[in-house]
Parts: sequence; structure tokens; C-alpha cells
Amino acid sequence: MRLKKRVKVAALASTAVFMTACSLPGLGAGLTEEGNIRIATQSSTEMVILGYIVQGMVNHYSEINADVIQNLGSSTMVNQAIVQGDADVAAVSYTGTALTGELGMDPITDPDEAREAVTDGFEEQFNIKYYPSYGFENTYAFLVTQELAEEHDLVNVSDLESIAEELTAGVDNSWMEREGDGYRAFLDTYQFDFETVYPMQVGLVYDAVQSGDMDVVLGYSTDGRIASYDLVLLEDDLNFFPPYDASPSVPFEILEEHPILDDILAKLEGAIDTDMMQEMNYIADEYLLEPATVAREFLEANNFFEDSEPYLEPVGGE
Amino acid sequence: MLNIEGLDELTQMNTLQQLIYYVQQNGSYLWEQFLRHFLISIYGVLFAAIVAIPIGFYIARHSKLADWVVGAANVIQTIPSLAMLSLLMLGFGIGVNTVIITVFLYSLLPIIKNTYAGVKNVDNALMDAAKGMGMTRWQLTYKVELPMALSVIMAGLRNALVVAIGVTAIGTFIGAGGLGDIIQRGVNASEGGAIILAGAIPTALMAVTADLVLAWLEKRLDPSSHKRR
Repeated sequence: MRLKKRVKVAALASTAVFMTACSLPGLGAGLTEEGNIRIATQSSTEMVILGYIVQGMVNHYSEINADVIQNLGSSTMVNQAIVQGDADVAAVSYTGTALTGELGMDPITDPDEAREAVTDGFEEQFNIKYYPSYGFENTYAFLVTQELAEEHDLVNVSDLESIAEELTAGVDNSWMEREGDGYRAFLDTYQFDFETVYPMQVGLVYDAVQSGDMDVVLGYSTDGRIASYDLVLLEDDLNFFPPYDASPSVPFEILEEHPILDDILAKLEGAIDTDMMQEMNYIADEYLLEPATVAREFLEANNFFEDSEPYLEPVGGE
Repeated sequence: MLNIEGLDELTQMNTLQQLIYYVQQNGSYLWEQFLRHFLISIYGVLFAAIVAIPIGFYIARHSKLADWVVGAANVIQTIPSLAMLSLLMLGFGIGVNTVIITVFLYSLLPIIKNTYAGVKNVDNALMDAAKGMGMTRWQLTYKVELPMALSVIMAGLRNALVVAIGVTAIGTFIGAGGLGDIIQRGVNASEGGAIILAGAIPTALMAVTADLVLAWLEKRLDPSSHKRR
């Protein structure tokens, strides 16, 4: 019986060690390595690409290693991981989502007000610095073909009003029922309706408008197919949709520990416009390239933004 | 803007061709995730074996405890894996260790149950003979019970490992990596069918292979299959 007990103690000890200990052989890369910057992101192609862009920048300008934790389930989960100290950088949050999700506030449609509310809210509630936008937003957008846009001189959503009665529209299923920025609210704000509105799965709308089955569709503004099908994105001139600008965020504590991170993220401010993001999404999805590869190509094509402010000395580490 | 060489016109290809193309392009990444996936599963099962096999022996001797222990392990088993992962995440945070702990918990039941059954089913006559030879308690365990029960214990490990490979696949949601990353990437890509297959086929293959290898081992270890010399 003595021996048995010893075996048990050994078993318990070894499990205890493994539960608290860091990395097991073969799984070392990543999460648990001390001193690494851990970049958390969600699972869409765009979000993962942005995670790897931040990683590439950190590796280019500092000696610090950076790891990407991808596929976290929701934006609140990313936020929680950061608040708990399991991750250091949130690669991307969208203003509208951050406002209603993490901060639990009501949607604000004015872009500047929304940004201010989020920046303040993150600082007060989580002690996290919410950065200015990467330079693009991923929001709902009305899309039409190049031909239709030229024929009727369409630039803004309100330009549709005169011809809307003859147009069929394909929209995201969930948008029909949404409160605040859904179909009913749209009718109130823009004061016109389409001939028929067909709810469909959002992934299908791009093909539907390109093939001519639909005249106008409501899709996501950074989807790669907008670029590849040469669709025209109509400006939401009445600010109907809440802003979904994409920004990184980092706790102030981490910034104190790694001041260079602040400069690196400042370099990325305004560096990625909607066209670039669309193209990256398109390449990753259509050519089955890994987001990591696309991010690396993007940074190399832009010389890691070495010329933009603030100036940083590249250390050249890969 | 981006000038990536060698991009073929993939939209013309069918899913199988896309799959081959993806594997060619991302072979090393795929292999890396495969290995990672395998290791996570193995570690979880291994740690569970270290704990569960002694427990199995113990409850085989103390039958009163058996119902309680197996019952508790049963309860763990009924928790859906995604819920378990989320629950543990609250305590252990995100990352690979939480997935290993999840695999560990799911592996307990099959291993405990099989060890218990294996030890219980050792022929009493054999035990009496061993005792008659003057074996100590430890010798009984080590020289009689363990060899006799080994193939049944192996069956438990086999069960556990197959489940583990499945559980590890959802570990991607808490940032653990593994083949689940690739599957999830395929789900999110607009035309990701081929990527889903690139992640799902190796996962299935791994489970089937693990099952076959352990089944073979189980057979080898079965004392009744040993030829007398």
C-alpha cells in the first residue's frame, strides 16, 4: 500500500506540474513564452490577416517575439483574454461592435462621436488604449455594378431614390430584422423603398449583383469580391449605418512595458485603405493563401511602412 | 498592389484540384499543425493515463468506491466539449494547456473504466496461485494483474485517444492551434471548401490511424493470444 501511495503522489505531482507549468515539448511556440507579445484576433480572414500584419511589424522593428492567437470566438472573448492577461494586443476591433459589445452601450451613428465614446470607454472601463483606425471600415454597404453606376450617375445611397422603384435588392437575412440599423430604420432614414427586397445569405449577394440577378445588394464593405467583380460601393451619405472602423487596442500597462509597440501601431494608423483590405481578403480567399503569407507580402510590398511617421529603426529580424 | 507570383486561376479548378493546390502551397504549415494536433491529444491522454490507471487499480480493490469514481468520471463525460472548453477557459485562460486539460478530463472515464474492468476480470484462481507462491501485494499487481489487464487497459487508451483527437479540433476556439485552425479558416473563407477538407481529412486520418495502431497493440498485448513456446 505504501508503494501505491507513492505512485499516486507522483501522479498528482506530475499533473500539478503540468497544469501550472508552461510549455510542453513540441508545443512551445507561442502562448506561454515569457516576454513575447501575444496578439489576439478572431477568425475571419480579414481579422487573421491583420493579426499577422501586427506580428510582422513587431518582428521588423523590435527584438521582441510576437505570436498570433487566432480564431477566438467573439470580440468579447478577445477583450476578456486581454483583460485577464492571456493576450497583449487585440489586433482589430470595429467601433460599432466595440460600442455595443464590449462596452454595452447604445449604437452611435456619428463616426466621430462613436470613436470618442469607444476610446474613452476602453480607457475608463478596461485601461486599454484604443487606437485610431487602420484606415478602413468594414460595414454594411450598398453595392451596384459599374454599368448601373455609370448609367445613373450613382455615388451616394440617396442617388438611388429616383430609380429605386425599378430596382430589385438582395440583402443579408439578418439585416431585415435588425433593430436600429435594419431595413425598417433604413426606410425611415432614406425615405425610399426598392421594388422588391430579397433576403439572402450574405455570402451570395456579391454573385447575385454581378450576374445581374439583383440590381443592388447590401454586403460587407471589405469583401474581396467587391474588388474582383469591380462593384461600386455607394457612400452612406446620411450616416445611416453606425461606423465600423477597424482599430487595434492595447492595455496601457503593456505599452509601458513595451513602449515601442505604441510607435509601431502608430505607424499602422491610416496605413491600410479599403481597397487594400479588399484585395488582401480577395487573394487569401480566392487563391487559398494563408493569411500569414498575404500579410507578409503586404508588408514587404509596402516596405513595412518605413517611411511613415514615427520613424523607427528596423532591426530586420524576421 | 500585391505581387504574388504563381497564382493560378483557382476559380476554374474543382474542389479536389484546389485541395491538391492548397496542400502543395501550405504543406509545411499543414504538417506543423498536424504534429501540434497530435501532440496535444497525446499529452492529454498520457497525463490521464498516469492518473487514471492507478485509480482504476485502486477502485478494483475497493469496490465500494468504484461506483462513485466511475459515476464522477461519467458526469465529466456528459458535459459537451465546447462547454467544457469554455468553462475551463474561465479558470485557466486561453491557450494550449486548457485544451490539454480538457482532453485529460475526457480521457479519464474510458481509462478508469477499462482498468477497473480489466483488473476485476483477472481470474481468481490465478490470483490464488500467485498468492500461494508467496507474492507480495506489489508483485501481484505488477506481475499478475497488470499483464493480464493490459490489453483491456489499452482498449481504454484507444478509446480515449480517438475522442481526444476530436476534442483537440475544437481547441482552435481558444487559440490552441492544431488542425482545427485550418478547418476554421476554411469555414471563414468565401470559397473555403478545399481548405476545410485540407483540415478535416488529416484529422479523420489521424483518428483512424491511431485507432488501428492501438488496436494492433491491444491484440499483441492480449495474454490469450500469446503462443506458448
